[in-house]
Amino acid sequence: MKAQSKLYFYITISTILLAIIAVWSLNTGVYDFGGKSAFEVLRKVIQGDESLSLSDKYVVWDVRASRIIMAILVGSMLAVSGTTLQGLFKNPLATGEAIGLTSGATLLAAIAIVLGGYFKQYLPEMVQFSLTGISAFIGALLAMMLVYRISTSSGKTNVVMMLLSGVAITSIGFSITGFLIYISKDEQLRDLTFWNMGSLAGATWTKNIVLSGVILIAYSILLPKGKALNAMLLGEKDAEHLGINVEKLKKQIVIITSLMIGTCVAFSGTIGFVGLIVPYILRLLFKSNYTFILPLSAVLGSILLLIADTISRSIVAPSELPIGILTSLIGGPIFIAILIKFKKSL
Amino acid sequence: MIKAQQISYKHKEFHILDAVDVSLGYGEFLAIVGPNGAGKSSLLSVLANEVKSKQEILFKDKNISDWHVQELSKHKAKFSQHNSNDIPLEVKDVVMMGRYPYFDAQPRQEDHEAMNNMMYETDVYHLKDREYNTLSGGEKQRVHLSRVMAQLQNEIEKKLVFLDEPLNNLDIKHQYKALEIIKKFTENSNSAIVVLHDLNLAAQFADKILLMKSGKVAAYGTPTEVFTAENISKAYNFPCTICDHPITNNPMIIFG
Repeated sequence: MKAQSKLYFYITISTILLAIIAVWSLNTGVYDFGGKSAFEVLRKVIQGDESLSLSDKYVVWDVRASRIIMAILVGSMLAVSGTTLQGLFKNPLATGEAIGLTSGATLLAAIAIVLGGYFKQYLPEMVQFSLTGISAFIGALLAMMLVYRISTSSGKTNVVMMLLSGVAITSIGFSITGFLIYISKDEQLRDLTFWNMGSLAGATWTKNIVLSGVILIAYSILLPKGKALNAMLLGEKDAEHLGINVEKLKKQIVIITSLMIGTCVAFSGTIGFVGLIVPYILRLLFKSNYTFILPLSAVLGSILLLIADTISRSIVAPSELPIGILTSLIGGPIFIAILIKFKKSL
Repeated sequence: MIKAQQISYKHKEFHILDAVDVSLGYGEFLAIVGPNGAGKSSLLSVLANEVKSKQEILFKDKNISDWHVQELSKHKAKFSQHNSNDIPLEVKDVVMMGRYPYFDAQPRQEDHEAMNNMMYETDVYHLKDREYNTLSGGEKQRVHLSRVMAQLQNEIEKKLVFLDEPLNNLDIKHQYKALEIIKKFTENSNSAIVVLHDLNLAAQFADKILLMKSGKVAAYGTPTEVFTAENISKAYNFPCTICDHPITNNPMIIFG
């Protein structure tokens, strides 16, 4: 089979799998629709059936369906941002959490929540509404630039420096976020805890529209970059000889991954390790061939997060398990597995 | 093909290159030789537009920094001295990178052909499904040679290839094969600039020799002009004798 048709084959298969999981997820939950299945209700919602009770419609459409879509969008973005970061740093350990991007985003989002109240009224309405989102983006961007500056010189990344600067940024973020929690009021505290735990429970259709917009811009630029990321494996100078504008590529990756991670953090808090697990699995199958793992991580990320979210909201029903617990439980051992493999090549 | 005058390159007050003139005609094979630290690789980097120098470098009568990056990649390619050891891909994927300037998403028929041809010529075709990271040093070297030469397989006339010590780690047979590939490439009015350590191979294959010492040009000309006992002993600080190669009549250098 030719490489290209092989790629389409895998994308089709995984998209079908994603659809099946979405159907399963829609029908999973504690709410009783009075003998009907969730699909019947969904069909009635789409047909605009008048006989449908408001609470049925609310549960299927505004709670479950919007949450499923959000899991798909967030999971996809987290996985793709992980994959592109690994391409940029030429290392499978580079992810938003490991190098401090997530902490940077969380920190500035937290500052916006706690201190934002004091100057919010002076800002234009549009900015007020998206203050946490924009702050999270800026936080991720600043962390990213700092890590890249520290760890990369003349086109080569020092992996130890990369991970250690991530540790430093995370600890700074941790202490300041801790301080903010200490001084914050009750209502802010609830918001802050939510950022730290990570959850998709706050899903709404408005958020999904914003996420879709971000994903559309990000993917139209990033997804065709598979070849360029492969060439980066040769080193930046050799990539340039292959006709790739490396400086422009790096800027695009820095800005867009920060945008994606910032948006995800703003809407769903810190959901760790998706950007590590998904490329890890894909690398087992396709090595580091980014023309495969970049587009496929977009679908596999959705699958992973949707499964994790459905489990987390049904396993201890009617209560809910924070989703970060599940993803970290899978991600931690994988991180160690990569480290052990990496030790040999040091 | 390429013309540059008075190239100077400094690193922290230390002159790596000091007023070097280079001029290369179409179809020429230029070998850069010289002792360690003479500035051979730096000169190649400057000429290949990897590091910016203040002086203008004219590539095909146009300043090299004015070329569009992607267009330039079809006219010139470079083989680096330090190739990455860790590329978790299969050999054929690495060679296919040489074709990246030519296709968007899907390699075309001619890209596959160029890839296969060069893998045959560099004798790595049997390794095409192997993982690059499991190869030996010499095999990796041949994979990259294959990639660089595949990059210049096109209809464009008068191309230029830079090679920085392409013979490292290669056995005798593959050293000759590599040089023959480069020589064949220069026969169609393409040019090559190659950093070499083996003076006898340089004398046998190159049209012109640039002998460097301490960032300066010590001698420049045809092998017979440059490879005199005096030039070489002075540049390398080591005694040598020159005699005629019994078969090719090129100068043959015997050290000691």
